[in-house]
Amino acid sequence: MSPVSRTAPGPARRLLPRAARFLRSRRRVLVRLGGWSLLESAQTFLVGYGVAQALDRGFLAGSTGTGLAWLAVAAAATVVGGLAVRGVFRGLADLVEPLRDGLLRRVVTRALHGAVAEPARADNSSVSRLTHQTELARDSFAGLVLVLRSFVFTAAGALAGLASLHPLLLLVVLPPLVLGLLLFTATLVPMAARQRDFLDADEALSTGYGAVAAGLRDVVACGAERRTAGEADALVATEVEAARSLARWAAARTVALGVAGHLPIVLLLFATPWLLERGLTAGALLGALTYLTQSLLPALRTLMSALGAAGTRLLVILDRLVGEDPPHGAPAAAKSAAAPSAALPAARSGTVESAATPAETPAPAPARPAAGSRVELRSVTFAYGPGAQPVLREVDLTVEPGEHLVVVGPSGIGKSTLAALVAGLLTPGRGEVLVDGAPPRAAGRSAGELARQRVLIPQQAYVFTGTLRENLLYLCPDDLSAGAPDGTPGGAPEAGPEEERLAASVAAVGLGPLADGLGGLDAVVDPAALSQGERQLIALGRAHLSPAPLVLLDEATCHLDPEAEARAERAFADRPGTLVVIAHRISSAHRADRVLVMDGARATAGSHRELLDRSRLYRDLVGRWHTGREGRCAVRPGRSRAPA
Amino acid sequence: MAPQPAADPADADAAAAAGTGTPADRVLTAAIRHSAGRAAAICLLAAASAAASVALPAALGHTLDLALDGSGEAARWTALCALLVAAEVLLDAVSAHLTGTTDARSTAWLRRRGLEHLLAVGPRRAARFPHGDLVTRLSGNAAEAGAVPTTAATAVSSLLTPLGALVALLLVDPWLAAAFCAGVPLLVLLLRAFARGSSDSVSRYQRVQGEIAARLVEALAGARTLAAAGTAGRERARVLAPLPELAAQGRRMWHVYGQAMVGSGVLVPLLTIAVLAVGGVRLTAGELSVGELLAASRYAALAAGVGAVTGRIGALVRSRAAARRVGELLAVPPVAYGRRTLPPDGTGRLELRGVTAVRGGREVLRGVDLVVPGGATMAVVGRSGSGKSTLAALAGRLADPDEGRVLLDGVPLDGLDPAELRREVGYAFERPALFGDTVGEAVAFGAYDPGPGAVEDAARAASADAFVRRLPAGYGTALADAPLSGGEFQRLGLARAFAHAGRLLVLDDATSSLDSVTELQVSRALTDRVRAGTRLLIAHRVSSAARADLVAWLEEGRVRAVGPHEALWELPEYRAAFTAGDGPGVSDGPDALDTPDALDTPGAPGGPAPRAARAAAEEPR
Repeated sequence: MSPVSRTAPGPARRLLPRAARFLRSRRRVLVRLGGWSLLESAQTFLVGYGVAQALDRGFLAGSTGTGLAWLAVAAAATVVGGLAVRGVFRGLADLVEPLRDGLLRRVVTRALHGAVAEPARADNSSVSRLTHQTELARDSFAGLVLVLRSFVFTAAGALAGLASLHPLLLLVVLPPLVLGLLLFTATLVPMAARQRDFLDADEALSTGYGAVAAGLRDVVACGAERRTAGEADALVATEVEAARSLARWAAARTVALGVAGHLPIVLLLFATPWLLERGLTAGALLGALTYLTQSLLPALRTLMSALGAAGTRLLVILDRLVGEDPPHGAPAAAKSAAAPSAALPAARSGTVESAATPAETPAPAPARPAAGSRVELRSVTFAYGPGAQPVLREVDLTVEPGEHLVVVGPSGIGKSTLAALVAGLLTPGRGEVLVDGAPPRAAGRSAGELARQRVLIPQQAYVFTGTLRENLLYLCPDDLSAGAPDGTPGGAPEAGPEEERLAASVAAVGLGPLADGLGGLDAVVDPAALSQGERQLIALGRAHLSPAPLVLLDEATCHLDPEAEARAERAFADRPGTLVVIAHRISSAHRADRVLVMDGARATAGSHRELLDRSRLYRDLVGRWHTGREGRCAVRPGRSRAPA
Repeated sequence: MAPQPAADPADADAAAAAGTGTPADRVLTAAIRHSAGRAAAICLLAAASAAASVALPAALGHTLDLALDGSGEAARWTALCALLVAAEVLLDAVSAHLTGTTDARSTAWLRRRGLEHLLAVGPRRAARFPHGDLVTRLSGNAAEAGAVPTTAATAVSSLLTPLGALVALLLVDPWLAAAFCAGVPLLVLLLRAFARGSSDSVSRYQRVQGEIAARLVEALAGARTLAAAGTAGRERARVLAPLPELAAQGRRMWHVYGQAMVGSGVLVPLLTIAVLAVGGVRLTAGELSVGELLAASRYAALAAGVGAVTGRIGALVRSRAAARRVGELLAVPPVAYGRRTLPPDGTGRLELRGVTAVRGGREVLRGVDLVVPGGATMAVVGRSGSGKSTLAALAGRLADPDEGRVLLDGVPLDGLDPAELRREVGYAFERPALFGDTVGEAVAFGAYDPGPGAVEDAARAASADAFVRRLPAGYGTALADAPLSGGEFQRLGLARAFAHAGRLLVLDDATSSLDSVTELQVSRALTDRVRAGTRLLIAHRVSSAARADLVAWLEEGRVRAVGPHEALWELPEYRAAFTAGDGPGVSDGPDALDTPDALDTPGAPGGPAPRAARAAAEEPR
């Protein structure tokens, strides 16, 4: 995960300003919390004081009634103090819940920003952060607030009580208490560092074990059991070492507790004759011992165990959750967005499929500003890192408005990179990309602006839980702006031009049967219950419906069967606008106005016929296509709907 | 997204049987035995500390009485008190240290044992545990179970303090003990009134939280669309929409928790005051000294600490539950290997004799007899669910047949030495899991390191060299930093298999994400550049079958026919196996069915990289 600095003050110092801001903006809550906590101070004070008075004025003076009355006061104070806990918890909720809300917002924002910046690496680890770590932070913070507050107010009550019994008591009690607290504070920093080492080791261990569990088949198939066990062993050893040094500090903390909590009792005993000479009564002595053993010692004990463990945990987790600022859009996204191709869950090819089937009646084209964008690449060179070989080298290409270009080539050759460059998700290292005469730049533009400019549909179709209509209108700027605050484009469906356009696009891309099967446009779609092909159909419908004058389909039909793919591609060809298709199957090339063959770092464009003459790779590709029976092979049988 | 592999009912039964308790106790006793000495030491230390803390109030009280009397003996007793306090603090410190190290030690021991066992159990038998579950068992559960020796040791002694205190209270004055004993149930009853009205807020809270998580998972899966469409901000709002509801439930949780806390914070002080009240009356009557009263109030507080014992017991119960989960894993029998080696001049002849395999209660392979001649390439074709992947798993002993035998060069696989088996039989998968810090290490991963030269050769053969060189640091690029596509992942998996190629190579749908061109390149390289041997390919593409020497056509778990592709192609049903009806206009994606650990899931479209024995003639130049 994130590299955390080894020195303890680092995260604390980083977090301090934020923490101060957080608390400053919640002064009222703090005051309320303090108010309720004062009742706890009063309770502490009265219990010790009541015991002293009960003895001195009551039992020792021979007046049982007075003694019992003073004890009743102490008991009443205890009950009232106990009831104050409710108020404390109300204040606590006002402090803790906003923290959790903020953390959650941050985690979500960061996860989405990170995923958008590097889609290839989008994984679900942030989900664990979302649920597990924010909860840990919430609980640790609550525990910390409770314990710190309780210690401060209990100590205040006890010290006030001691002073009221006999001021000299403070002289005996304060020095060891302060010394012990100082000792404890001194252990805090190194202990926090050890605690963090431990958490790091634990996380590394979980990650390592997770990889083994997920890749067990591969470990066994490679015969690498011993090696894997050895590597896992090293992780275990690191954690044991961290735990050992943590245990040493735990022992040191116990000594600090001894000094702060136990030593005052011993000192008080030693000082007893001297204090008695100075007018300390037996009852006051008993009250003082009550303060020390019944109030101060337990409060110290919880303080030390909570600050040591929960405090450090909170520090580490907060630092992880809040530490760095989320990348605000632009630079990161522009640098490495849209890595070359598919994300890890391998999107696989369908099988080789047949040549295009006879044309169907073209669907009615949706009414929208026609034209189409002009795309120009002028000797574009692009590499993913300074030390990496360029994916594209000196690529020149012009796509005329309204043209239908198909890009073919082996996987990993840079086809998706080309699409990302045209969409403005990447910027070329050298040369320039122009769309309608201007460099496309996705960063910093709103979804609406982008959708009016171009649409890029990747291989991994995105469908969210919502109605089919919402999913289809995802790239329609009008609905973007009218979208409900929760992001779901709302608005009552009206029979109008929009309805017609929807119906036309649904029909054009062949989404009809699926839409009917789902229960119409206003049925809620559960993405998990859809096959990848079905998801791709919905994404295609969405792109078809958008007003974009430039549509980039990056293997967006790879999970469709050949017939469905052909139909979808024809629907886009009939749609006004420029169309660039990154082909998964070579058959897409047959439907193109022009084909771009990418072979290594070179790219050759031309018509089907020209390329047959000029490109050996293209001949290979197409030739293989027409050779023998491969052309007749179609996709495998499949479910139309996966069980949820 | 991918569902977990369906566990066999038989497996489920076994797991259930394993969960009935004995494995838990075995783990617990083993863990305790492993740390017996330390646990005993902790127990003794804690007992000594308990003795000191029980002795202290009496000493304190007596010292107080002496001091009030102005007796000269007070100093000596004060010193004794100091000694007791020092002893308690030091004993606690030593025991804290020992507890920490012992927990770490026995947790590490359990984890090592668990992981080694997992590796010995293998993928097939471990498939009943989902991945995340395995990690929980080996990390979190092992840590909880590892704490058993110390928890048990301190639990024994944690009883000593309250019991000792109660006895001491009885010795100081029986009336006080009576007051204490009468007060406990009374107060507990009284306080229960406060703790009433617990609610379902926790489960509601978790449900809302789960909803937010699910929305995030959904949005993250669409990362590329979000990036392209610039809709990250909108998705953020959609994911966070249930947040106010979460906050509301969270507040309810704190409210309920606060009510419960009212009780626990009040109990001990009230009990102490009750004892003081009775003690005060006795003091007035002259039956009790001030010191004894002090001791009594202290003993009341200590005896009330019996509540902490329930916490200890709770911890023990939790630990036992955790130990059971570790035990369930340890109870899975490991795969047994033999010690035989293969004949050195063997050609890699693979033979399946009467092989039957049961998955999910269904016979996915039924009495399969199949011979792959040494050095030949055999493609296994058939519709989804015909048993192809199970066959692939059996061929290299990633699983054992339920009936029948699998032999390599005449030696039964289950009699083979494991090192020999893995050296001579290699696998490439549809979705490989890669290990190692760098891309180069991922290819070199295996029973032995083939060296950088062999790694690059293998990568070239798998058409991976070119894209690896385009990565920021080439072969030295950290695997975590390499943005790899599915096809690139597959090719690294192929390279790994090529780099360690032995006499049998099983390619289980290992080129399915490659486009036609790359697949052709890989299949050519497999012939020219990878050590010659027998190849078994699970295939979906006609081209793969056409390039193989032989095709085994599976149908519903049986071998329908074996022969060259040309001969089989004459059969309409064989052709239908490739074109089998795909009714709707949509072919489903591969993700839903196959997970890397689901050895028995039906295959998906795509084809392996076959030997191009015949292919060369077919290939257009």
